Amino acid sequence: MNLLEHEAKHLLRDASIPVPAGVLVKKGEPAPRVTLPAVLKSQVPTGGRGKAGGIKVVESEEELKGATQQLFAHPIKDLLPNSLLAEEKLAIERELYLSLRVDRDQSAIILMAHSTGGIEVEDNHDFKEWVVKDYSADVLGQALADYYELPEQTFALQDVVENLKTCLVKNDALLIEINPLILTSDNRLVAGDAKMTLDDAAAFRHDWQFEEAGSEANFVTINEQGNTATIANGAGLAMATVDAAVDAGLHPANFLDIGGGASTETLLAAFHRLMDYPQLRVIIINIFAGITRADEVARAIVAARQHISDLPPLFIRIAGTNFEEAAEILAAASIPLLPTLDECLAAAKKELYE
Amino acid sequence: MNNLFTGKNVIVQGITGAHGSFQTKSMLAAGTNIIAGTTPGKAGQLVEGVPVYDSIADIQKEHTVDISVIFVPARFAKGALLEAIAANVPLVICITEGIPVHDMLAVNEALTHSGTTLLGPNSPGALLPGVHKLGIIPAAMSLPGSTAIVSRSGTLTYEAMAALTAKGIGQKYVIGIGGDMVHGMGFIDCLRLFQDDPDVDRIIVIGEIGGHEELRAADFIKEHVTKPTFAYIAGHHAPAGVQLGHAGAILGSEGESAMAKTEALKSAGATTATSLTSLLASIV
Repeated sequence: MNLLEHEAKHLLRDASIPVPAGVLVKKGEPAPRVTLPAVLKSQVPTGGRGKAGGIKVVESEEELKGATQQLFAHPIKDLLPNSLLAEEKLAIERELYLSLRVDRDQSAIILMAHSTGGIEVEDNHDFKEWVVKDYSADVLGQALADYYELPEQTFALQDVVENLKTCLVKNDALLIEINPLILTSDNRLVAGDAKMTLDDAAAFRHDWQFEEAGSEANFVTINEQGNTATIANGAGLAMATVDAAVDAGLHPANFLDIGGGASTETLLAAFHRLMDYPQLRVIIINIFAGITRADEVARAIVAARQHISDLPPLFIRIAGTNFEEAAEILAAASIPLLPTLDECLAAAKKELYE
Repeated sequence: MNNLFTGKNVIVQGITGAHGSFQTKSMLAAGTNIIAGTTPGKAGQLVEGVPVYDSIADIQKEHTVDISVIFVPARFAKGALLEAIAANVPLVICITEGIPVHDMLAVNEALTHSGTTLLGPNSPGALLPGVHKLGIIPAAMSLPGSTAIVSRSGTLTYEAMAALTAKGIGQKYVIGIGGDMVHGMGFIDCLRLFQDDPDVDRIIVIGEIGGHEELRAADFIKEHVTKPTFAYIAGHHAPAGVQLGHAGAILGSEGESAMAKTEALKSAGATTATSLTSLLASIV
């Protein structure tokens, strides 16, 4: 789960990492008192916000009012904000980059820094990295101070590293990115912007009340104008189904992993979402049931046929746990099954192009 | 590595749970020698005729334990894994999915100072057709033989195995390493096992987008693997599921795509394809 900036900053503040003073302006609620001048930032779950016009500096009440209206009406990558963060305007001396993440390849927590932060950070390639468990926070803070060439900030950076580590572990975060880490002209280090990704698997031990920013990893649109929708179980099979569909000359609109143990309701909701694709003409369903039960999937398919009047032709392949039961349920509703994915793709191709 | 997968005495941690008991039955049916199981507080019970103990240490008072298969729920998995590591179980296979990443970092730390090898978590386990089943891979779709399969994805493991079986091509090993961020055995560990086992004459590798493990596997294949190897990377056309902000975008730029990984495996000498069905079609 990706957090919004103000949510991430709240967790940083709790961990004693300095963030700018600020208040949240919520849509449709009376505006709180904002100290001027201020920076007004659209709270959308996407990057590149600054370049897309999602950040405005306001000097007067007049400007604050205008910019508030403007930002609430201004979509960024199709996303409209539910809130704006109004923060003190900092006098910036330097912008740095600092992040802490769990790294897949190294199976370890990695501290990553760059001496130039800000919106162009993607252009940097020479990031400096440390495996956190190999060093104490004091050593890492010292190394950062040397690297940033900010010897007078050594103590402050040691604190930042120590507190970031605590913040990452305590919140079950996979990533905390501070970009920019601002050095103010009065020599303070402040988190100018913050991104945080929490580990959904750890939700059971937290009381998370976040806006649920970001996209679902299990439903991704590949091509809004695609003519073929795909449904599969397991991320690997879902990807493999899309790969095979493209190889067969179809144009998949989406990637959908219904996961293990999906219920009839969640499956039906997925069917409804697929109907939003304007060019949709066929649906490929590829299930290899292990923990997912084939009969549940079959019931959802029957329900979708009943509830969605303009459902396009379905090309279904089901194998695995409870296959026989699934086959019976579908046969009773006169919905055909095909023995292999290849045959589904060939039949779909015929439907589309012949 | 000795062949840990042929260890005789198998236990099941979390044997009294819904998954644990169901899968115990299915493993017994596939010939697995399950000597005992654990669930704290449930010592003395029987599950499918298998005696339940409170802890691994209690089992070890009476038996040697070669392999433990873990089905405990995610929130208790870290404890179960640390218990198995502390008990020095040579091979631990963790089926549990949804274990918090920070829990796995702690487990990983304990593993580096231990004599335990871990497969998983979030893995379907390993199946040695005709020998035994250590996890949830459906044995009915397998056939004993000499092909070895290693995959990151559970469903694609089954898919590849079932397709080979349908063609009459049997398998010596079917292993799912699991798709979690922090996990035990990787592709290279399995490739080494397959290369060193004289009964294996063909290797199938199924990877995915994200991370660099398949690239390192390609290097290993180039240097050390002499057996015919077939590889497919899932996700040629699927966008990456999880974007870790800028850090992820920066790190994810090179080498993590299906195309880059496929290229690397191809230049390492593997037969590759852009879909699993076409890869399987090329195996005769």
